[in-house]
Amino acid sequence: MKVLALNGSSRRNGNTEILLKQALMGSELEGAQVEILRLTDYRIGPCRGCGLCLFRENVCQVKDDDVSFIFSKVNECDGLILGSPCYFLELTAVIKQLIDRCWILGHQIGKIKKPATVIIPYATRGWIPYISVQSNILLNVMGLTKINEAAICTQGISEVVLDQEAMDLAYRMGKEIAVAIREKDLTYQGEDGVCPSCHDWLVRILKDRETVECPTCGVRGKLTMAGGKIRVKFEKKAWADNRFRPDVSYNHFNYHIAPSKDYFLRTKEERKNKTQKYQEYLPG
Amino acid sequence: MTEYLVKLRYYPGDALEKIKERDLKGFARKYGVRISYEKIENRQMKERLLMEDTLNKKIEDISQEVITVSGDREKKFSGCIQALYKRYRCPRTVYSLLGSNEAGEKIAKGLMNIHGGW
Repeated sequence: MKVLALNGSSRRNGNTEILLKQALMGSELEGAQVEILRLTDYRIGPCRGCGLCLFRENVCQVKDDDVSFIFSKVNECDGLILGSPCYFLELTAVIKQLIDRCWILGHQIGKIKKPATVIIPYATRGWIPYISVQSNILLNVMGLTKINEAAICTQGISEVVLDQEAMDLAYRMGKEIAVAIREKDLTYQGEDGVCPSCHDWLVRILKDRETVECPTCGVRGKLTMAGGKIRVKFEKKAWADNRFRPDVSYNHFNYHIAPSKDYFLRTKEERKNKTQKYQEYLPG
Repeated sequence: MTEYLVKLRYYPGDALEKIKERDLKGFARKYGVRISYEKIENRQMKERLLMEDTLNKKIEDISQEVITVSGDREKKFSGCIQALYKRYRCPRTVYSLLGSNEAGEKIAKGLMNIHGGW
């Protein structure tokens, strides 16, 4: 049983690294082999948007970096712990950079049954609205199932060791991952949010001003008030639209992306004529 | 007189609810436009998913439902397109209006931008 921790912080022995190591100690106690990768120690180039991973059966044009190594580590592990600080409302850039490179894994969505947990240290309450978005996207596109998530309020470097409750929580979460692997139980154990699928609290108001959706999962519902509390009612049939279901993600890749090749080829001449002036203007 | 013609191409999973010809006839009557419907189905069950190789196929040949709307009164035509978007949501790809004429596409695309997010 292997548990891998991915660290989205570049700081050595910072709060994220400490919390991840504390979690791994918990996993180890449950019999897991553990490993940690600090993502900023690896070369993760930007996605070039060339589309080869989509149009030429999983070939990535970016070959001079370490992303395939990171993906191989994720594939090898049985469970994953993702950690990232929240510096500015969301997770760090290296997480997003990695997400963009995950197109090549699109075929895995919803198919792999591996647990994952997320630990996010942050400094100021109220400054973390989007922290779950990136972690949910990354875990989903990697085919992993989130079983827990914790945001931990802590600030200066390594200060988290002063917060015994946070340290105990991280340790417990590490143990949970190992137990989930052993018992093949992917039941969510964290705090429930508004969305029953990704457990986030975000909702997006659609332009009809009647409907809301979970922006990550794409599932639509209605806002209601009951007993002075805001609720989101998701119709049962709306779950068929969850973008991380295997059939929905398959349809997206197969009908929204793959056929664009035909469109691209058909418009070749027109594009060629119309892009000429941009190639000549401010040449780079 | 301007003729507006638009083809709305819905791919599997795009339409929020089942497209029924009976409902389309109702829209045609209400808005005084012509509507036709075509369903292309080439998917086969594999690995517990309805699958189809779409990469090297013509856009018109892959599985989809095509609602063709035409009319010569802009307001009625727009109203109908808007109602279709409200019912099924707007088609989702850059090629989902392929086969429309310029006047129809301009209206359909403009309404997509207003109703996008559906």
